[in-house]
Amino acid sequence: MFNSLLHIKPNKLLITTLLIITILGGGYLLGQYEDENKTQANDSNSSRLGSARFQYNRPAMYLKPLEDVYDPTPPPARTSPGKPRLVEYTLVIEEDSIHEVAPGVKIPAWTFNGTVPGPIIRATEGDTLRVTLVNNGVFSHTIHFHGIHPADMDGVFELLPGGREFVYEFIADPYGVFPYHCHSNPVSQHLLNGLYGMMIIDPRTPRPEAQEIAFIMSAFDTDRDGSADFYSWNGKAFQYAHNPVSLTLGKPVRMYVLNMFEEMMAPHIHANMFGLIPSGTALEPREITDVVDLAITERAIFEFTYKYPGTYMFQCHFSEHMEQGLMGWFNVQPPLLLN
Amino acid sequence: MDVVNTSPEKYALLKLVLSGLVPLMLLAGLVMYIIINGTGLRDYVPAPLEEISFERIIFSDTGIDAEVFNSGPEPLTIAHVQIGWFNRTSYQFTIKPSSTIPRLGKATVHIPYPWIEGEPYEIVLITGTGMVFTHDVEIATMTPKVTWSLMGNFAMLGIYVGVIPVYLGLLWIYFLRRVDRKWNEFFMALTIGLLVFLGGDAIAEAIELSTQVADVLNGTGIIIIGISMTMLILTAIDQTVSKHRARKNEESKENEASLDSKSVLTLAYIIAFSIGIHNLGEGLAIGGAYAVGEVSLGAFLVLGFMIHNITEGVAIVAPLSRSKTSLWHLLVLGFVAGAPTIIGTWIGGFTFSRVWSLLMLSIGAGAILQVVLLIYRQMRRASIRRNVDSIVTYRNVIGFMSGLAVMYATGLFVTA
Repeated sequence: MFNSLLHIKPNKLLITTLLIITILGGGYLLGQYEDENKTQANDSNSSRLGSARFQYNRPAMYLKPLEDVYDPTPPPARTSPGKPRLVEYTLVIEEDSIHEVAPGVKIPAWTFNGTVPGPIIRATEGDTLRVTLVNNGVFSHTIHFHGIHPADMDGVFELLPGGREFVYEFIADPYGVFPYHCHSNPVSQHLLNGLYGMMIIDPRTPRPEAQEIAFIMSAFDTDRDGSADFYSWNGKAFQYAHNPVSLTLGKPVRMYVLNMFEEMMAPHIHANMFGLIPSGTALEPREITDVVDLAITERAIFEFTYKYPGTYMFQCHFSEHMEQGLMGWFNVQPPLLLN
Repeated sequence: MDVVNTSPEKYALLKLVLSGLVPLMLLAGLVMYIIINGTGLRDYVPAPLEEISFERIIFSDTGIDAEVFNSGPEPLTIAHVQIGWFNRTSYQFTIKPSSTIPRLGKATVHIPYPWIEGEPYEIVLITGTGMVFTHDVEIATMTPKVTWSLMGNFAMLGIYVGVIPVYLGLLWIYFLRRVDRKWNEFFMALTIGLLVFLGGDAIAEAIELSTQVADVLNGTGIIIIGISMTMLILTAIDQTVSKHRARKNEESKENEASLDSKSVLTLAYIIAFSIGIHNLGEGLAIGGAYAVGEVSLGAFLVLGFMIHNITEGVAIVAPLSRSKTSLWHLLVLGFVAGAPTIIGTWIGGFTFSRVWSLLMLSIGAGAILQVVLLIYRQMRRASIRRNVDSIVTYRNVIGFMSGLAVMYATGLFVTA
């Protein structure tokens, strides 16, 4: 039937010649295109740039803002020495909290008083600390404070079942910066779900007056694949990039820092040096530096004063931590501008 | 019209329609009930069942665009974007049309990331519930824009890997005409070997690709539909042509030889058509891979495809070795089989879509398998005419095995 469609029977030699000319000629012509393309490709390769003209130095500024911000200001220290007091706190554990870990990313979390990290507990050395733990969850929980206290106040063996209360009471000792966290098994789960916070014990002789700020460095594995997806100052990625921490030019700053994640952290402040008090267990800085390594639950006090006004970054110097949220800005302004 | 006589028939029709509709109406009622009252089953999902499929990644001088598809059962919101290189970096982004994507909805995430040519990247999308979806790009390269120059480049590629090898293979017809008649069947069996290899290869590729298609689009279903529909359509074409020929034969009383020559020509055209579709799929794959920077078109890859595809020409002309075929037919056959490669590279290079590639691969596989059946029947008919019991002779088996071996050996040259 196909023969009926094509009646023409041309000279075989002619057709073969035409065929060869078409293939070779077409190939040659299109080869010209290819050469042209190669030249262009080489030009762009020589610069090795894809879209380098789109550079932003403040990526977080382009992200959406968070709903809430964790206030980095700790409760005030007692300003004058005096008789030991009774300092009371109540911590309520909830297992159905929703924690906004990054703008728009809300994950389930276990919390002390509704936030990750929990509230900052503060007392003066020698005070009696009475912390009431209310377990509103289903699982058993505890609070394990670092520091010196009796065995039955250590929060490891005495698990508090859901729906019950327990009172931890001990003398605040010694002075320094400490973590507190749930020590119920499996501890990794209770920690990574958000049950941790900072405790500051002040020395009997007050530290010099300063603007105080406190930060916990921690991370979140939102999809539970074994690697963190967000790192943060005080539980929320990029929160102090959206809401810079205001500092006063020329006024001393005391910064409490605690690492609560299973990786080394390297807190670093920009354009300045700080006096480092490891663990907060001394009155005077041990060294002057601008970055320090903190392993898990290691902590320190940084004392510094900004000499020039402007916006400065404070970050974890591990670039992965910084780029996944462990960064923020100090807004340093002259005193008049703040009033 | 007599009312008394027709009314029972009308009732019968009504009953027929009703009996067909009753299950559907009951189902509709049940669906309404469930929508209003729920199923009564415990409807609590501890973890969100979100799923994002990456359709296409475009690298441009304004950054990276990720075309994504919500293949999960619920709407989802993309809340955060990270780009992985040494490690992951949170990055600003915009989403069109909306960061909340409905079920089966699409969105384009634009990330103004300063990417570098030739580097590997991981695109990380994090939803509002903290679910993380990633897509790896092995080599970032500027996504080609449609230009005449690039069209020409792709056409060139298509000519190299599709058209030239097929025409070169066709030239073996002169060789096939000169070999002894008893070797005729050997080359038919060899053709079957070539085609079985191609078909198996196409199915394997299709299955591999189907794992990359979003679950909800059912890649396996696309393969089954593609293969079976193609086989049925080709059967229908073959049967129509045979009937037409039989009728014409009765009218014109053509002799057996001429009838046979036309029948093998039809077979050759169906083979050419099948190989054409296969080459369209191959073109899609090559063009797509080139466009997304997964393959570099080095001389070795092009040469490999040329060596591999020259076998396709043999497959087309093997049935024609004992019939007179005009050069016009050879030209058209080569065009039908080879030219779709060019179209394939164009489509694959500019609008790469896994679903369409999968469908094309499946159609190609179905066509080739059908052709295997047709050639088998042709050989069977010929053997019956010669009063030979079986076509599974030593010579044919060796031919078949040689076909497989040739395909395997030439396939070694294709190094992507």
